[in-house]
Amino acid sequence: MEKLKQNPIVVKLGFNRIVLCGVLLLMYLLFSVLGENFAGIPRILSALNYAYFLGFLSLGVTFVIATGGIDFSIGPVMFCSALVSGYCLTSYGVPMALSLVISILVGALFGTFNGYLVSHWSVPPFIVSMASMNIAKGVASVFTKTQSVSWPQGTSEQGWFRSLIKVGNFPVGLVIFLAFAVICSVILNKTRAGRYILSLGSNREAVRLSGVNVKKWEMLAYIICGTMAGIAAIFFVAAYTTVQPGYGDQYNNEAIAGCVMGGTSMAGGLASIGGTVIGVFIIALLQEGILALHFTKDYQLIITGIIVIVAVYADVVARRRKN
Amino acid sequence: MGEVILTMKEIDKSFPGVHALDHVSFEVRKGEVHALMGENGAGKSTLMKVLTGIYKKDSGTIVYEGKEVEFHNTREAQDAGVVIVHQELNMLGHLTVAQNIFIGREFKKGIAIDDKKMNEEAAKLFDMLHIDIDPSETMSNLTVGKQQMCEIAKAISHKAKVIVFDEPSAALTEAEIDELFKIIRDLRKQQLGIVYISHRMDEIKVITDRVTVMRDGTYVGTLITEECTKDDIINMMVGRVIYEDPKQHSMVPENAPVVLKVEHLNAGRMVQDVSFELRKGEILGFSGLMGAGRTETARAIFGADPKESGDIYINGTKVTINSPEDAVKCGIGYLSEDRKRYGIVVQKTIAENSTMATLEKYMKGLFINKRAERGIAQEYVDSLATKTPSVDQLVVNLSGGNQQKVVIAKWLVRNCDILIFDEPTRGIDVGAKNEIYKLMNKLAEEGKSIIMISSEMTEILRMSDRIIVMCEGKKTGEVDIEEASQETIMNMATREIS
Repeated sequence: MEKLKQNPIVVKLGFNRIVLCGVLLLMYLLFSVLGENFAGIPRILSALNYAYFLGFLSLGVTFVIATGGIDFSIGPVMFCSALVSGYCLTSYGVPMALSLVISILVGALFGTFNGYLVSHWSVPPFIVSMASMNIAKGVASVFTKTQSVSWPQGTSEQGWFRSLIKVGNFPVGLVIFLAFAVICSVILNKTRAGRYILSLGSNREAVRLSGVNVKKWEMLAYIICGTMAGIAAIFFVAAYTTVQPGYGDQYNNEAIAGCVMGGTSMAGGLASIGGTVIGVFIIALLQEGILALHFTKDYQLIITGIIVIVAVYADVVARRRKN
Repeated sequence: MGEVILTMKEIDKSFPGVHALDHVSFEVRKGEVHALMGENGAGKSTLMKVLTGIYKKDSGTIVYEGKEVEFHNTREAQDAGVVIVHQELNMLGHLTVAQNIFIGREFKKGIAIDDKKMNEEAAKLFDMLHIDIDPSETMSNLTVGKQQMCEIAKAISHKAKVIVFDEPSAALTEAEIDELFKIIRDLRKQQLGIVYISHRMDEIKVITDRVTVMRDGTYVGTLITEECTKDDIINMMVGRVIYEDPKQHSMVPENAPVVLKVEHLNAGRMVQDVSFELRKGEILGFSGLMGAGRTETARAIFGADPKESGDIYINGTKVTINSPEDAVKCGIGYLSEDRKRYGIVVQKTIAENSTMATLEKYMKGLFINKRAERGIAQEYVDSLATKTPSVDQLVVNLSGGNQQKVVIAKWLVRNCDILIFDEPTRGIDVGAKNEIYKLMNKLAEEGKSIIMISSEMTEILRMSDRIIVMCEGKKTGEVDIEEASQETIMNMATREIS
């Protein structure tokens, strides 16, 4: 085992990530055996639909968790983005392209709000994001007058946005998502922003006393997170069409689960985009599998809840062992 | 000296890539104070951690009170009577003294905690140790010295038979050290075995009976303190003679310009109306007792803490410094007294820490130029003689002295003109200390200006061109090195206390 861990290829890819990939494959085989008609392209595409929006949420929140913070508002913010922009589209006749931009802007706005309060006013991220979760729900309800919003069908004139996830059976969404993942990974590992975000998650004071404007970089992490929630909204409606005000909380947990499972430490300072991507695929596959096994959605809530606890516990244990 | 109470024999311990302890032997007798000395990274702390069960030994035996033992955690060691008094105190500031001493084994009356009984018991302990502390006082109101006394009382209350002091004097004033020594002598009389880890040579001579020296994870030898000289011990530690004479003359040229001028600086109780000038190429020593406000002054100048009033001029121009960012832009670098908390990011590599203050210069467009970054880091690893296999090593794996060098490298990479060294050699062994002294002298020669805050009188007298003394938040004196002596400085440092 130790020998395997020190193999240069294993080191390069990361032992944990290889294990995670194994888990992903095992789960797929398990569901294929147990579930009716699980094996095959349709189920995979369906799981991918879930993975796209969740993936964007998860990529975004990875930056916040890397700073040692947390964002519990991403799910409702995604819904708020989808509702506000969808309402503009359907009720005010705003063109499709502009609506998509509005969606991203709403997310970015929430991210900026969270980031400013956390970094400049030193309000604990837990409190800030809990509050802005409710604000996001409230804003969405007020803006849409508590109506659900349905985005145009693929056959309609404005339905072109759906080709963001799929053209025919080709998963365009997967390409876009992976491209974003690569960009995020580059930001985190190769730019100043990433260096400072990870460093301040590890030792904020030391970074501040190095003359770095920590407020700016911490805020940036939240802005990235919010913006990603805005992008996630587009992929959500492209897959599921209708959004209802007042929901979205459950995706917080799932996105954070994907991120932590992938090896990002809740204590900050350590993050892995590659891990997050695999973590997201596992959560998405799980939800698809649970449906295929004829369980209700409620079971998925229970299971992701447990996954979050187990993943964070594993992180705690791993760190304790290192010390 | 009585019979042997604790023997560690042929202890071996390896970490990935490091042979931390190479068949080390060590013994403690009843009623002796046994010094454990060695440079940082020599393995003293590791040996003590093996003793108290924090680390598991790879091989070797530990015999305690005639029986072979292996403790699995500090709790087990404590119950058996082997206790460490740590360098960093583990006290809960908001609880009372008595509550801290009996934490985890409170006296109870029914289900309620019996504070009265705990206060009485604590008072008995203090009586026994001849310590004057009120058990019902809140811990955070005590000085560091008093808090340490409480640690000792706590150790005694565990019926300790062996007490390990890990650099107990690092944060104490001279008077507090005297008091500590009185207690240690008392404990010795009561036939306890005492292990005393310290870097301060004078203390070793005063308080210990025997000295065991370690170097690079191996046992070098044991001497009887009375029969050896300071140089004997140092030679065993490093194998070279140390120069410790005070500086005779200021090295600053007559016409050197003033680079930093601070006027009427105020920041809370600890910084009251502080004014001074720093000249090009000067090493300006800041002396004073613990809590004199020297660190607070430095932090206020550096923008790390807010200031209430006062002006700062750099090269004659008035500047506004409201954050460390501003200070760094003005060419000031600050090496904190507490490296772990304020100096380094332990989960990052040496290279990444080295460019922490200068990253914008190591960019290629949007991306970090990792090759250039590693290059500059390697340059400073070489020139500062940082001991590490590579610049990709995580800083957490370095010893204290080498971590300090990484912090220094960070500011040298930035090429700061004004450097504030806050206790630059705290917790650093003699050899590395000298390297840092040499480096500071070299920097001053090159025209950098240095503010050096130090609680060690020998360090102040050896390094400074001029000395500023502070006491309780005020500047109480300023002397050129030619007129400075221990007595004059001490006099100024205590001017308002007594």
